[in-house]
Amino acid sequence: MSALDLPLREQAAAIAAGDADPGQLLDETLARIEQRNPAINAVVETFPERSREMLAAAPDGPLRGVPVVIKDEWPLPWRAQRFGAAELPAPTAPGESGPYKALRDAGATIVGVANMHELGAGSTGNVSYYGPARNPWNTERCPGGSSSGPAAAVAARLVAGAVGADGLGSVRFPAAYCGLTGLKPTFDRSAMAGHHMAAETTAIVSGPLCADAADCRLLGSVLCGEELSAGEVAGLRIGVVRDTVSEDVAPEVREACDAAVEALHAETGGEVRDVSLPDLERATLAAILVVNAEGLGGITPERLNNLHPEISPIARGFMKYRMLLPAAAILQSARIRTLMRRRLAALFEGIDVLAWPTVPAVAPPLEAPLVELPSGTLTADQANVRGAALANLTGIPSISMPVGLSSDEMPIALQLGAAWGRDELLLDAAEALERANGRRWVEALPPLARTETKAAEAR
Amino acid sequence: MDATDRAEDFIPAGLAALGIEADETDLAVMGAAHGMFWPPIRDLLSFDTVDIEPERQPDLSKAPES
Repeated sequence: MSALDLPLREQAAAIAAGDADPGQLLDETLARIEQRNPAINAVVETFPERSREMLAAAPDGPLRGVPVVIKDEWPLPWRAQRFGAAELPAPTAPGESGPYKALRDAGATIVGVANMHELGAGSTGNVSYYGPARNPWNTERCPGGSSSGPAAAVAARLVAGAVGADGLGSVRFPAAYCGLTGLKPTFDRSAMAGHHMAAETTAIVSGPLCADAADCRLLGSVLCGEELSAGEVAGLRIGVVRDTVSEDVAPEVREACDAAVEALHAETGGEVRDVSLPDLERATLAAILVVNAEGLGGITPERLNNLHPEISPIARGFMKYRMLLPAAAILQSARIRTLMRRRLAALFEGIDVLAWPTVPAVAPPLEAPLVELPSGTLTADQANVRGAALANLTGIPSISMPVGLSSDEMPIALQLGAAWGRDELLLDAAEALERANGRRWVEALPPLARTETKAAEAR
Repeated sequence: MDATDRAEDFIPAGLAALGIEADETDLAVMGAAHGMFWPPIRDLLSFDTVDIEPERQPDLSKAPES
């Protein structure tokens, strides 16, 4: 088996022990991108010479010589971010972004820039200047967004780790659709410098997407600049959100998530109890309004009148609509934010984690990203944001992990949220759930990776 | 009056006030966005928050101060 098929942490350990050659690993990674990427469009640009330069200069850090990809959301010294769009309304330039420096200082090798939903404005990944990324589990399905490329790249085992960003669920949605583990750290805990909204956002964070929680812990520690230490998780108090929004999910998603909560409970002891979070729908809208208002920084009517012709019609129209949002609604959103933060703080006095499905239905078709829910047919964006926005609005950390496959062989995911700064607990809980499931779901491979990996093993 | 009717007044008036140009495709997208967002925005605006004391410069990396 190639070192490329090892988990991120095992790649790092093999290189550190001298059991794997990082130069060979880089070459194999670039070859695999060339081989598999055309089917999924996860990586939109490679730069082999830059990657080799990074490797040659790599310090002896926790990711020395390990290949990773980074979402098209931060600048690199040789490339400005494009945010999945023909042109960013805000000025950008190449530079040493926070995530770049964190990866470089850890010794990682950035092998490519990963695709994303245009302007970060979607949970599906089906719209991008580079063309849509595709889900390795079924290339006619959405990979999730906006970190579509990072998720598709890891799911297809082009790399074992990817850096995404999460402003309204953009790490957790693609992790869920692609069967990965994705961590949205506590606000302001992970590297964000160089992001064109870094100074304005009160919601967006960088976060890792990997096959499992241990790899997310490693990459997350690098992004956070501190060890996300592993601990024992015993007596976990799980609060299951029972709300019209959180309950409006496809039956097989509900069943898999309920089973996962029970498995986590059995593994850790403690208790499971239903909790309610009133005004979740208002909180979701408040998060959408806050994020969209913050994204208007530097955008003028003149800029909107001169948008690049290849900006998609939906992005163009929605950007203009955002300019009309009433200021009173933004201020009201700030009060909803306060309300929900206080309610969550009170809730976390009695429970350790909140649990509910990451997304209410599995990845929909790229051509028509609609989902069927008990309440009817919704766009995937409408349906998905309801379960994700609360973490961005309030600042709490949240993690998505795979907990099953649907009848049509698409991943199902559970989300856990914890109190501010308890990112480590989420990783501990995710690892406990992996143990409870015999690591069945984190080791499941999509067809694109499964066939060729098995063929390679046979050889 | 439904959200679509409102869009016919709200969107052109807002665009004109700001000097933003829009073609028919833009207007169609904006109309759809308005239909989706305006009813919950109205609900949000009518939600009584007078008793919620806002956090002053909230630190979103931490729990709120009580």
